[in-house]
Amino acid sequence: MAWRNLGRNRVRTALATLGILIGVVAIASLGMATAALQQQATADLQGLSNEVTVSAGPDHSHDGITADQVDDIETVTGDATVVPEKSNVTTLSARNGAETRLRVTALTKADAMYNVSRGQVSNRLRSGALLTESDAERLGLEIGDPVSYNNRLYRIQGILSSSQGFGGGRRELVVPMSAMAEQDHYDSVTVLTTSEQSVESLTTDIESWFNDDDEQIVNVRNFAAVQQNVDSFLGTLQLGLLGIGSISLVVASVAILNVMLMSTVERRGEIGVLRAVGIRRGEVLRMILTEAAFLGVIGGILGVVVSAAIGVVIFEILVGSPLDAFSWQSARYLLYGMGFAVFASVLSGLYPAWKAANERPVEALRE
Amino acid sequence: MSVIELVDVVKEYKSGEELITALDDVTFQASHGEMVTIIGPSGSGKSTLLNMIGLLDTPTEGAVQLNGRDVTDCSPDELTEERRSEIGFVFQDYHLLPMLTATENVELPTMWEPTLDKHDRAVDLLGRVGLSDRLSHQPTQLSGGQRQRVAIARALINEPDVLLADEPTGNLDQDTGATILDELTRLKETEEIAIVAVTHDEQLVEYADRVVELVDGTVTS
Ligand SMILES: Nc1ncnc2c1ncn2[C@@H]1O[C@H](COP(=O)(O)OP(=O)(O)OP(=O)(O)O)[C@@H](O)[C@H]1O
Ligand SMILES: [Mg+2]
Repeated sequence: MAWRNLGRNRVRTALATLGILIGVVAIASLGMATAALQQQATADLQGLSNEVTVSAGPDHSHDGITADQVDDIETVTGDATVVPEKSNVTTLSARNGAETRLRVTALTKADAMYNVSRGQVSNRLRSGALLTESDAERLGLEIGDPVSYNNRLYRIQGILSSSQGFGGGRRELVVPMSAMAEQDHYDSVTVLTTSEQSVESLTTDIESWFNDDDEQIVNVRNFAAVQQNVDSFLGTLQLGLLGIGSISLVVASVAILNVMLMSTVERRGEIGVLRAVGIRRGEVLRMILTEAAFLGVIGGILGVVVSAAIGVVIFEILVGSPLDAFSWQSARYLLYGMGFAVFASVLSGLYPAWKAANERPVEALRE
Repeated sequence: MSVIELVDVVKEYKSGEELITALDDVTFQASHGEMVTIIGPSGSGKSTLLNMIGLLDTPTEGAVQLNGRDVTDCSPDELTEERRSEIGFVFQDYHLLPMLTATENVELPTMWEPTLDKHDRAVDLLGRVGLSDRLSHQPTQLSGGQRQRVAIARALINEPDVLLADEPTGNLDQDTGATILDELTRLKETEEIAIVAVTHDEQLVEYADRVVELVDGTVTS
């Protein structure tokens, strides 16, 4: 019955449905966009979230972390992977005359710290090197080509993607530890926690081992706080975007209110007949609410379909994996959109329904 | 015993400053198996009287009794229940719902508590008014007389005690009108219901057991 009533004025029904559709799409696709941003940011921070970095503090007696201290760190941190590294800055020049200035890092266990987009990382690098992609391009270097650092040649065995990790656009040459043999101390030590270890507690463990109230021998940093900041920023962004989405659904509700009001005014006589033949007020109310709910459900379903398509595109662009759009993190916004659509429709059907149900049948029948 | 009884009913309408007395001290009753027609000039209060009998409106003064029970002070919801079970309406312009079939229109008063036997009864009633072959036609696919017969079937679905008709033959030609009136007469006898019809139609007056004439809101005969 409600269904057929909607079928009577197709244009009006279609317009109301369109209104809801737009509202749902606004809510769901904005929600999914933030889910995509969140996923991307989490992925970016992933590499850093299990790292604790130790460097020489203001009260350190040397200009870097000593080998003994590295041993101490290994003792304190148990199963964690401890990667001491030395760093420097150098200028690389290519045969074609191009030059680039970049950071040089010397370490062992390169495979624990770096992922390459091409080539491979071996544990000790031996006489191999890793170079960031932008620099390799600038210098016209490929895997297998030699680079010179400190008068020694290294063969490029892997290319690091330039945007990898936080703060993209880094420029780095990674060489074996032996390349900086003349430097006695380590500039920093990176501790990679195992999945059972907490970054915060390792940080405190290391700090309390080396430092006391008066002396800050080492600086110990982790990125947990950065992650928290990013999360709270994304939370705010999400609220803002959902707010915008909700406004469009409010607009859609007004459209439904209008449609339902028009159609009840138009059917005034008919509803009078219903009341005259003994249809109860509650039954009239239910009939009109059902119509409104139908509008919400149809608009909602269409909106969900369109939003899902938009979500796939968003995830393709921002994250690079379109199917992640259907993970719960993102797909729940489809559910919210749907729920909101039905809720808003019924809510805005309430007044017209109430008005129609409470009209006195004599009045309604006297046209 | 009378099915419906109006005692000293006054109905006044306020339109702006003016007070219109549509019914002035009207006493009326109708019994089982009786057809009463209400005649009178335009504006004399016929429709108003029918609304009182049909419990669609409440009197300003006086009392309304249904099957011996005083329903004057009933709430709108109680009156809805009485209309549902005791009263059938046949409106002048049928008032069928355009998107429903003949059978569904007949079932309309029971739409929210549909039962199988109401459906069977709807089909049976349509058969009795000669529309067995029009069960799933929509109102627009029916002639005026056929629509009127669907309206009559609808009025009977809940086995009412009173059937009210405002100008039941007003839109029909002589022959169709006569068929409808034969139908009503038959129903009056088989179902033992009281029929109250408002009309300008001389033909309908001939079928009536009793004629009530209204002039300026008062009964003159
Ligand atoms: N809701 C209303 N508000 C104000 N006045 C009304 C109302 N309903 C009826 N009236 C007045 O009451 C009087 C009787 O009206 P009613 O409709 O009963 O006449 P009627 O006999 O049915 O006329 P007709 O034969 O033209 O249908 C008229 O003067 C009319 O203007
Ligand atoms: Mg009238």
